[in-house]
Amino acid sequence: MPANKKHLTTSKRQRFAKITAGFLGGYAVTVSLFMAIGFWVDHINVLMTLRFGGFMLWATLFLVAFLFRDGWKAWGVYLLCTLVFSGLIYIGKIYNPIV
Amino acid sequence: MSNRIYNVLFHTHTVSGIVISVALFVIFFAGSFSFFRDEIVGWERNEPIVETATLSDLDFDVLLDTLNQRHELQARDVAFTKYFDERRINVSLSASKDTTANEAARGRAFFYMDPETSDTYTYQSNYSIGEFLYRLHFFAQLNLWGTSGYLLAGLIAFFFLFAIITGVLVHWKKIVSNFYLFRPKASLKNLWTDAHTALGIIGLPYQFVYAVTGTCLIIGTSVMSPAVVTFMYDGDTNQLYEDFGFNPPHFAWANDPLTEVPSINALVERAEAKWEGFEIRNVEIFDYGDQNMHVGIEGRTHYDAKFAGRGEIVYHAATGEEVKVVNPFTATSYQNAVTAIITQLHFGDFGGMPLKAVYFILGIISCFVILSGVMIWLVARDKKNIPEKQRRFNAWVVWIYLGVCLSMFPATAITFLAVKFFLTTFDASRMTFIYQVFFYSWLVLSVFFTVKRDNYFTNKFTLLGGGILGMMVPVANGLVTGNWPWVTLPAGHIQIFAVDVFWICISIVALIIGWSLKKPTKQNKPTSRQKTNNHLSRGVDVTLSKEGSLQYLN
Repeated sequence: MPANKKHLTTSKRQRFAKITAGFLGGYAVTVSLFMAIGFWVDHINVLMTLRFGGFMLWATLFLVAFLFRDGWKAWGVYLLCTLVFSGLIYIGKIYNPIV
Repeated sequence: MSNRIYNVLFHTHTVSGIVISVALFVIFFAGSFSFFRDEIVGWERNEPIVETATLSDLDFDVLLDTLNQRHELQARDVAFTKYFDERRINVSLSASKDTTANEAARGRAFFYMDPETSDTYTYQSNYSIGEFLYRLHFFAQLNLWGTSGYLLAGLIAFFFLFAIITGVLVHWKKIVSNFYLFRPKASLKNLWTDAHTALGIIGLPYQFVYAVTGTCLIIGTSVMSPAVVTFMYDGDTNQLYEDFGFNPPHFAWANDPLTEVPSINALVERAEAKWEGFEIRNVEIFDYGDQNMHVGIEGRTHYDAKFAGRGEIVYHAATGEEVKVVNPFTATSYQNAVTAIITQLHFGDFGGMPLKAVYFILGIISCFVILSGVMIWLVARDKKNIPEKQRRFNAWVVWIYLGVCLSMFPATAITFLAVKFFLTTFDASRMTFIYQVFFYSWLVLSVFFTVKRDNYFTNKFTLLGGGILGMMVPVANGLVTGNWPWVTLPAGHIQIFAVDVFWICISIVALIIGWSLKKPTKQNKPTSRQKTNNHLSRGVDVTLSKEGSLQYLN
């Protein structure tokens, strides 16, 4: 009962896009999200949550990347999220700097 | 869930599962034994402890006196830590702050010390099979480039988490109905699938906890912190350490020796009496013998009093004044609670021996879930429409996987026996010896079973062999030390007794399973529908219509 091939990605480039989007993009979204929150809420607690909760979120994002029909679109969405969170980090650094 | 999503998730589950399977098996197998790490260490060294022994029972004044004669403690920081429930404690000496101190005192020192004999041991001479299995379960032996072994173990745990999530999603619709489904008499594939899903669901909360806590403990900091240090702390690692309390407290050295060093025992007693149910794990002396000498006492609450409580008191030694107090019952920060919950859930040390036994069984069940997953993978691809070459490759993969995984059991038993019989001295050769015995016997057995190319044979004889060798472990202990189970139990040497009984139990189970394994009939698929006259197609002998047959050569 191996998975039905007709639903799976056959193109090597698509496969590469999905795996990298999930692994690297998912990581970037996770870490940037937690950092962005950390500038506005008690950062020690947020970072502590990142150490275990981050992996749960990352694994989920990894999985979601495979559900996109187009792997590059997954990259696009993840990069966009990372950019938005980076923006929040940038503003956070101005208003609530940690060091 | 649409058909597409189902198939995509299914495929990611298969691929992530098969890629991590062997490594994850090693982690779970060695990890399950590591629940008994402290018991194994006590058994191996024949150093029984009283079950209620804590750090506060030690005579610190005598210990410090001994250490002072050997290491000149003046102006040093001295830390005593009891990480594990074993007799030996960790002793760490910082470099002396006095620059005029002699050469030796200006260097740091770390060693293990048996408080009963005052003997000290280095890391190598303190090494043990308990420590070995514990470290094998996060691939410390593979730290060939930096912490590559830890990173590998962490990534395996992360993909394990991924496989758990996809596995639950794929199985979601039939999660209840299939739980009651077991068809041992049906085809092999059904047998493996039913076992995989039912045991997977039973172990699900446990496995989820282990995937998350395991990833967090081994790579939580190393993987998550680089970006945080760069973007949140602008590269100021020290500030991060400060925020998370990783930095040890620092006290100025007054350079003014005390005429008499105050009693540490009295301070430890005071700390212990401060809160009922407070267990001391770490005693640290800052600036020994100085006017500004401080004593830090750290510990945690008894688990039945409070699950996650870390407490700390720092005394100014000369005056006895409390410089810092963290009440373990009322002042537990989120950060300390998380750390405590994650480590305790992972180490399974909060419920005594019964909990360890349950955790061990669940750990071995997880090993079974991993292997049954591999078997599903094999059987589902063992079909006529799969090219012969691919099928041979798949078969080889499983021969190797099973050979490597299942050989761990006899290899572990062999190492236990070898350690008891041949490793009687505590010198630096211990570590090498344990490495060589375990890895060489594992290698030889793995190669042997792989070359046999018979999964049934591998399964049966690793269980029987491991069971017989395991039965000999308590005998070996009795012969070498005289500590037979009927001696250790009345004497209250619970750790030594537990390891002997533990080996007897798992060996009996392994022997029973090994004995009851029957050689599978070659063809498990229903054979009745197969035509017996395969060589005939519509009454014509197929060989005749093949190219190269005599007809065509005409």
